[in-house]
Amino acid sequence: MTQARILVVEDEPNIVESLRFILSRAGFAVDVSGDGADALRRMRNGRYDAVVLDIMLPGLNGFEVLKAVRADPGLAGLPVIVLTAKGQATDRRSAEEIGASAFITKPFANADVVAQVRSLAARR
Amino acid sequence: MASTLRGWKIRSARLAGGLSQAELARRAGLSAPYLNLIERNRRPASAAILARIADALGVALAELDGEAERRLSEEIGEILVDPVLAASQAAIGSAEDLVGRAPGWAEVIRRLYRAYRDQRQSVLALADRLNHDPFLGEGVHRLLTHVTSIRSSAEILAGQTPLDAAERDRFLAIVTADSARLSDAARSLLSFFEDNSIRVRSATTMEHVDAFIFDTNNYFGSLEMAAAEVRSDLRDPQKSGTPALDDAGGGRDEIAGGASNRSFRSVRRLALPVVEGEIDRIVSTHPALPSAEARELARSALSNYAAAAVLMPYDDFLGAARACRYDLDVLGARYGVSYEQAAHRVATLRKPGAEGVRFAYMRSDPSGFVTKRLPVPGLPLPRYGTACPLWVIYGAFQTPGATVRGFGELPGGEQFLFLARAVEKSPAVVGRPRHLLSIMLACPAAEAAKVVYGDGLDMRSAMIPVGTICRLCTRLECGARQEPPLLA
Repeated sequence: MTQARILVVEDEPNIVESLRFILSRAGFAVDVSGDGADALRRMRNGRYDAVVLDIMLPGLNGFEVLKAVRADPGLAGLPVIVLTAKGQATDRRSAEEIGASAFITKPFANADVVAQVRSLAARR
Repeated sequence: MASTLRGWKIRSARLAGGLSQAELARRAGLSAPYLNLIERNRRPASAAILARIADALGVALAELDGEAERRLSEEIGEILVDPVLAASQAAIGSAEDLVGRAPGWAEVIRRLYRAYRDQRQSVLALADRLNHDPFLGEGVHRLLTHVTSIRSSAEILAGQTPLDAAERDRFLAIVTADSARLSDAARSLLSFFEDNSIRVRSATTMEHVDAFIFDTNNYFGSLEMAAAEVRSDLRDPQKSGTPALDDAGGGRDEIAGGASNRSFRSVRRLALPVVEGEIDRIVSTHPALPSAEARELARSALSNYAAAAVLMPYDDFLGAARACRYDLDVLGARYGVSYEQAAHRVATLRKPGAEGVRFAYMRSDPSGFVTKRLPVPGLPLPRYGTACPLWVIYGAFQTPGATVRGFGELPGGEQFLFLARAVEKSPAVVGRPRHLLSIMLACPAAEAAKVVYGDGLDMRSAMIPVGTICRLCTRLECGARQEPPLLA
């Protein structure tokens, strides 16, 4: 079985470091992008099994990236896990409305991230 | 309205003086039954009779005319219509009753309300700051980012997955570095809350200063004299070594406001050494300024007064004003002052025996927030809300720089000539909204013939029915109504 490929879209280098570590130790191939526009390009060019997407990105923000993913027929069914600072029910609902597959608030427990990625990537 | 309070005042002054009704009546040349009717507000006391009674009691006339009580009952009336008291049983008309019977309690109500207003202002300002301050948003974001990376790295270090030395070092370094950054972020956020002085203009302080200005009739003879001294010093630089009046300028913040504001500020600064002693004396002895903040604000107002008196000497200005019939542009050009400064000076022409037309003065920002008010009897200016939307002070924003004028009749029948102009507070900057303030003057319609702004308006046909504050106004059919009225 080939390794599932995950794209982590996050601009904070230390958080990237942790995410890359825990996801690769969990058996995933991990690519990283620090920028929303670049992330979309990679998603369209490569085949990813899941995306971990931070909402607070410089430039094109996470919500806009998510909208673009859902609007793109070529990316249909791509699981997107949204990482956000705002944990209120309203933010969760907005994210779900735009098409987030799952919602994790910062600061997160590593085990939660891994569990979500495992569960969503497996369905592909 | 004042008359119903006079009876109480006369009675309590009589009792304070230890006189019987018969005795006071005798001294004042009235019959005792008539005095009794006056005290019970069954008969009005004419100005002449009031003067005799005051004489007989050995008190100043001002103590009996109930002016302070009238203002208090007006303020209580305004307080009663605040929505926070919407469910209350008190009827508006009873404010006078309360002031007459229990002035101490009325005063308590006034103080509590002002304190409440101040607190509310502070809370709103703080909430606004919390919601909109970009530093705060940024600060919280940093906090969260560092905590996230520390937590995740710490879990890795403490977790089941074995790490090689390089990985251990790397994550330890992240925890160390981000802990330091977290501390900085936390400290800077804390200091934001600590030295965050939400400075709010206290309603109470402004009220005190308003009362002070009103009590003193906005005329300070001693400052006028001191101003004359300053003027002669400035004319003659050899005398005191100070720069001549025309050269007065410079200073770090003189860019804003244009030439007239620059010279005003300079004159104020130059006059200060001469007038500050007298200002301190006035401010520290006046009973209407109980707090340090009120005295500070009053000092500032008086130093502005003194500067205006230097630039526009009283007798000269009064003569010029009468000659041009209070044309503010003519006066501004003649004395090198702004429209607002001329308007303000015009409202200070109250030297006993040499008064100009009596003007009320009001200044508002475009949202209706009143930043200066000087009422006159018969024309109450709102303390806690916006004025009648029909007043020209608001219409003036539609035509900045142009004077808007009109006659208005209050629900009680009092008629006034209103004139207003919206002026730039500071010079326009491309790309930024203009900072406009509207300046309004109002004088009794009977004096309109002396004022150029009444020209061309036929009082009879141009008289517009207006109110003062919507909630208190009895004009039920008014289309401009902001809020339903509270009927007395």
